[in-house]
Amino acid sequence: MHGKHKVIVQNNKLHYEFIIKRNITIVQGDSATGKTTLVDMIDVAVRQGESSGIDLICDVPCRVIAGNDWELILSNTKNHIIFIDEENSFINTQEFAEKVNGSDNYFVLITRESLYNLPYSVEEIYGIKSSGKYQNTELIYQQTYQIYPRQESLPIKPRKIITEDSKAGFTFFENICKEAGLSCESSYGKSNIFSVLKKETEDELCVIADGAAFGSEMDKVFKAIRNRKNIKLYLPESFEWIILKSGLIDGNAVKTILAEPEKYIDSTEHISWERFFEKLLVEQTDKTYLKYSKSKLNEAYLHEKNKSAILNSLAEGNLQISPTLPYLK
Amino acid sequence: MLSVYLGKMDEAIYHPPTYFDNRYKDEWITNPLSVSMIKDIDSSDVVGPYLIQSPVLGPISYKELSGGVKTLILLAFDDSGKIFNASACGDNCSKWILRIAEKKDLTINLRHIMDFGSNKFDIRIINTGETVQDMHRFVEIAGDYV
Repeated sequence: MHGKHKVIVQNNKLHYEFIIKRNITIVQGDSATGKTTLVDMIDVAVRQGESSGIDLICDVPCRVIAGNDWELILSNTKNHIIFIDEENSFINTQEFAEKVNGSDNYFVLITRESLYNLPYSVEEIYGIKSSGKYQNTELIYQQTYQIYPRQESLPIKPRKIITEDSKAGFTFFENICKEAGLSCESSYGKSNIFSVLKKETEDELCVIADGAAFGSEMDKVFKAIRNRKNIKLYLPESFEWIILKSGLIDGNAVKTILAEPEKYIDSTEHISWERFFEKLLVEQTDKTYLKYSKSKLNEAYLHEKNKSAILNSLAEGNLQISPTLPYLK
Repeated sequence: MLSVYLGKMDEAIYHPPTYFDNRYKDEWITNPLSVSMIKDIDSSDVVGPYLIQSPVLGPISYKELSGGVKTLILLAFDDSGKIFNASACGDNCSKWILRIAEKKDLTINLRHIMDFGSNKFDIRIINTGETVQDMHRFVEIAGDYV
């Protein structure tokens, strides 16, 4: 499945409305916000159709999966948005992660647990809130909101950078940090960032990680740093996304894709968006002097003009590695 | 005092709301503590053991209470000795968990980092044996287990 899909679920008391645009969406938050009610309404609407009295409106079919025979049901469910409530402990298993990988379904998972087996985006972790009455009716309007909205307490001017990447992305940041007199280190993977931060006492620190797959780490990292004003998180989709966004690659194709990636990213081919962006960058730079490989940074990306374009792209996201460098805005 | 086991705990009741639906006792609902918790978390009024008035859903039974409130009621009144997965509770339930644990020794399982607020508290982490007094230290330890 690809694309974004609006889901409307309503009866005579409640109106839910939200958009799903990636293969994995997490819903969590306070108790009594209507998460289970949402899943129950979808389940009844799917099982009983119009006679349920519930309107379920979406351009693709939705369904709820629960219970011990989830694998069987999932194996026979294609091109659906699948909702799974928190009572189902299987969502935290490797078996479930393997089923999600390559699936043509989108998944909406109700859980407060971190699902380390699944690469989901920090942007697709939502809560549900009531937004008053719906369009002058007596319906309570239930909307989703991002648990981790884009922060604006910027610009970030760090003294030290920590990257989850240990290869191409790290080489790039290590190089520019060296020029700017900053220190840079790799955590060697997203799962180590929490433990690295626990030991860190450095002033003005910035962690750079792939937001497209950082969802499972976000709860503990966010809670660990929320009272440490000197630590900032910079979570672009991925390093490859930064390069694509920098304008280094000629033509409108990349620009068009980046404007609405969900139109082009098929869940059967890419379990998370950062893998799509890597593939896109590899394809777009093949047989050019910018030929990209994640395992080793092509030195062309460190040439002054190219480096400047990438740094400007970072600065647009409000990350200023060093404001003293002449090529920065 | 509150004791917390962090991470997967096989013997814990994974989904307390389901357990509640099948083990609930009438007198739990009308207890003043439950009445207060239902009012605070679900914004609903207890009319009697079989009727609760919800501002959104109208008249409901105990089965339509939120998973968080059902879990809180179990933590307060269930005397089976079961340990419940309190990750069925949102952060808006945490103050009630601390309050329940003021009156009795309470052990819960947590599979996420619950926010217990900015005030001081005493929580014993069963995994490490350490007693923590604030969220900063709680997060430092919990992050290694959940």
